[in-house]
Amino acid sequence: MTLSLTIALLTAAGVYLILQRGMIRIILGFILLSHAANLFLFAAGNAARRDAPIGADGLAGAADPLPQAFVLTAIVIAFAITMLMSALAVTSETGDDTEDEG
Amino acid sequence: MREEAIPWIPTLDIALRVRMDGLAMLFVFLVLFIGALVMAYSARYLAKGVTHADYFGWMLLFAFAMVGLVVADDVVLMFVFWELTTLCSFFLLNRSGPKAGPVAVRTLLITASGGLCLLFAVILIITTTGTTELSAALVSDAWADDPTALTASAVLVAVAAMTKSAQFPFHMWLPDAMVAPTPVSAYLHAAAMVKAGIYLLMRFTPLFGDNTVWQVLLVTVGLVTALMGALFALQRHDLKAIMAYSTVSQLGFLVAVIGLGTPDALKAAAVHTLAHALFKSTLFMTVGIIDHQTGTRDLRGLYRLRRVMPVTMIITILAALSMAGVIPLLGFISKETIFAAFIDAPHRGLPAVLATSAAVAVATLTFAYSCRIVLGGFWNYRGVEDPRLRGPAGEHHDPEQKPAEASALFLIPAALPAVAGLVLGLFAGHLDPLIQGATQAATGSYHDPDLTLWHGLTPELGLSVLVLVTGVVLVVFRAPIDQWLNRELLPFTGVGIIESLRRGAISTGTRVGDLTRTDKQYVHLGAPWILLAALGIGAVVSAPVLSAQVEGLDQTSDWVLLAMIALFLLGAVTTHSRLTALLLVGAAGYVVSIWFITLGAVDVGMTQILVEILTAVVLVLALRKLPRNFHKTRRTRAAVSAAAALGTGVLAFGAAFALTGRRDVSALGQYYLENTYQDTGGTNIVAAILVDYRALDTLGELTVVTMAALAIIAVLTSRRSLDEHVNDFRQWNQSALIDHVDNTLPTRTLFRWLAPLIGIFSLYLLVRGHYEPGGGFIAALVAGTALCLAYLGAPTDRESPTRLPYRTIMAAGIAIATLIGATGWVNGSFLRPLYVEVPLPFGMSFDLTSTLIFDIGVYLAVVGLVLVALNYLGQAPRHSAGPQEEDALRPAAEAEKEGSS
Repeated sequence: MTLSLTIALLTAAGVYLILQRGMIRIILGFILLSHAANLFLFAAGNAARRDAPIGADGLAGAADPLPQAFVLTAIVIAFAITMLMSALAVTSETGDDTEDEG
Repeated sequence: MREEAIPWIPTLDIALRVRMDGLAMLFVFLVLFIGALVMAYSARYLAKGVTHADYFGWMLLFAFAMVGLVVADDVVLMFVFWELTTLCSFFLLNRSGPKAGPVAVRTLLITASGGLCLLFAVILIITTTGTTELSAALVSDAWADDPTALTASAVLVAVAAMTKSAQFPFHMWLPDAMVAPTPVSAYLHAAAMVKAGIYLLMRFTPLFGDNTVWQVLLVTVGLVTALMGALFALQRHDLKAIMAYSTVSQLGFLVAVIGLGTPDALKAAAVHTLAHALFKSTLFMTVGIIDHQTGTRDLRGLYRLRRVMPVTMIITILAALSMAGVIPLLGFISKETIFAAFIDAPHRGLPAVLATSAAVAVATLTFAYSCRIVLGGFWNYRGVEDPRLRGPAGEHHDPEQKPAEASALFLIPAALPAVAGLVLGLFAGHLDPLIQGATQAATGSYHDPDLTLWHGLTPELGLSVLVLVTGVVLVVFRAPIDQWLNRELLPFTGVGIIESLRRGAISTGTRVGDLTRTDKQYVHLGAPWILLAALGIGAVVSAPVLSAQVEGLDQTSDWVLLAMIALFLLGAVTTHSRLTALLLVGAAGYVVSIWFITLGAVDVGMTQILVEILTAVVLVLALRKLPRNFHKTRRTRAAVSAAAALGTGVLAFGAAFALTGRRDVSALGQYYLENTYQDTGGTNIVAAILVDYRALDTLGELTVVTMAALAIIAVLTSRRSLDEHVNDFRQWNQSALIDHVDNTLPTRTLFRWLAPLIGIFSLYLLVRGHYEPGGGFIAALVAGTALCLAYLGAPTDRESPTRLPYRTIMAAGIAIATLIGATGWVNGSFLRPLYVEVPLPFGMSFDLTSTLIFDIGVYLAVVGLVLVALNYLGQAPRHSAGPQEEDALRPAAEAEKEGSS
């Protein structure tokens, strides 16, 4: 329930920001949506098991390592995309504006 | 017959199957014999003093593709070689001068669309017969159960062959392709490209030969093409254009006779393919010689060459007589066998009479244009010389040049096929084994070719006499006929139609693209959002039964995290200040990191924290180039966005709640938990997944990260970055904040002490990643924070210690990761880790694994990205109007940087 609610909040805020004018808010919305997606991957594991999956044995209560590996990759790629989007935000003649309307 | 097979894609049963049978033998002989002659001829023909390595390379590849096509006994392999011939012809055309580009594209469009047809046919053959082996598919019983598939495949194969063999309405590429140098044309027309289509039709005759659609299509299209080509050939004045339309016509003849499908017809096709290859290669090469020696190839500009170039003339006459079908040349025999095939065709009645008449008409016109080539080239076709026409048509125009006979080495390659046409005509019996083998392969039954010049008084002999008489009449009255033909026969040209189709396709594509061509992101996001909403509504309506949730999903502390996130997000969506929004989103990011850690993902949480730090620094660098506040948005827009956001939030909650937390750890996750230590010797399972189990994914990720860095470089070097937003900070000119050297002193001092510590910590994290939280990503991000500190502590950008060779660092990262991956082949596969025990003093040892070196690659790539982001987004403006203005602005700009960070 708590995880689902967190995902819901991050998604809603992310969608709202992405629909606004200006590249910076789109970048921030993108960051929030990637948080939501990452937590969703964690939810797909078993959030009741929360021990770190580190060690040789005795891992009965350990969390699913697979979503963690996915998310670790996803974070770094999202970081790279954020960097690229910020480069785009500062190259337009009109600042980070994405629209013509006044 | 000989067969070989090497497995290629065993899971789909696709193999590199080749076999040499009679039909393949005939075509291999043509491709290699004519190919060798054309190469030898090219050496004389092409301009001296320039290297033609790429020309000979493409020609050799072309020959290879053709041989591969005819010996392939796997439909997929055959398709690959078919496409290879298309590509070779494209590149050979494309390198032929400035006018050749559009021609090459048109040719590619036509032949590649034929290639698509062949691909569909190949798929249909595989799905119907269940095999990719060509010889097995041709005799498969499955076709009897599915006549529709049979007819569809027949049409597709026929269309593919028709595009390649320049049949109406796809014929225009061949005359168009005359821009290529003459040797290329000689090869394309005589042995390669166009003969690929003929081969395909003959190869598939055992399967489709009895199909009525196939027969009607081939005979009709073939005869129409043959008549049309012959008529156009009579109309043209450029010798090469006459040759091109002659090829179109002769190929039409071949296609029509293959369409008859009888053993006699296939025999005739085999003989005529051979005869055509011989006389057409000679004719093209002699046209090239005339062009080379005189500087023109326009009939109206050539005059009395018979005195200057007697040897060329004799060779040309020999080949032209073979084309005209005059006894005793091979062309006569092939024409006779074609007539015989038409006369003995199983169909009777009006269609048969029409077809035979058309064949006779084609042969008559062929006679006429053959004479036109000889008379026009070496006598004077219409008795008038027009000196104004000298030169322009040729590739070797040189007005000062006096025509002279070509050298022997130039003439011999051209002469050989013509002489072969004569010898094989006189001793046709020696061709029997070759033609018998080809006919048997193309029909599946034994058939004695019985080739000879004299078969007695047969009906076909009567037709030959008729052709000869009518042809002579046409030649005698050539002047009025030429006069009458000297006009536009059609109100349009094939090239024009292709061009307008191409333009139409491009403009249609533009119009389709226009529907979504906008910078407004909400237009792009609308479609997926509506689909998502529909999906959610559908899920609710279908009311699926959910299994019970696992016990203990929620912990009390989770609610605290939830409340914090809610607070930060509320602030982030309502603030007007860019900086505030950035900080609040960053704060939410830290809470998410804590979430990760409470969920047992220590590595992920650490990575997220470090990413948040770096993102904040880099985004602040970007923010100082932008206004302080966001653009104002209209109320309606805010309301609609809020509604969409709420809807998506509800959907996300529903999906997360209904679809997750309802089973234990996945089977794969369980495997990793139980076996990682045994498999990899590592205790940090997540790190082991990243650098060992799924190392290829990580290598892909490194590539993505590096590409993003390169894209940043490209974007910020090609488009000018915005100036700093200095206005807000001018007021600080009088304050202490303006002294950037002194102001950065504390940070610099801090950095001097912290940098070694952070560096050692970063390396420690890198090394221990195999066993404890850490690894390449985290270590690199830690190093990234040190770099940020270094950058922020520098008094100006120019003095920043982050000006490191980032390109080299990133490239080294990818190279190290890939090379160390390659060592995995020692152990069986790419990226498989290797283990070495490194002895240390005092009896200790260190287990060095190649995954550690792989992690160094990861480390360098990520560090490279951070460096690129700092150096490019942090750069001072490079484009100020003048030095004075730059000096005036610089302190303020620097001050602003300190102010915002």
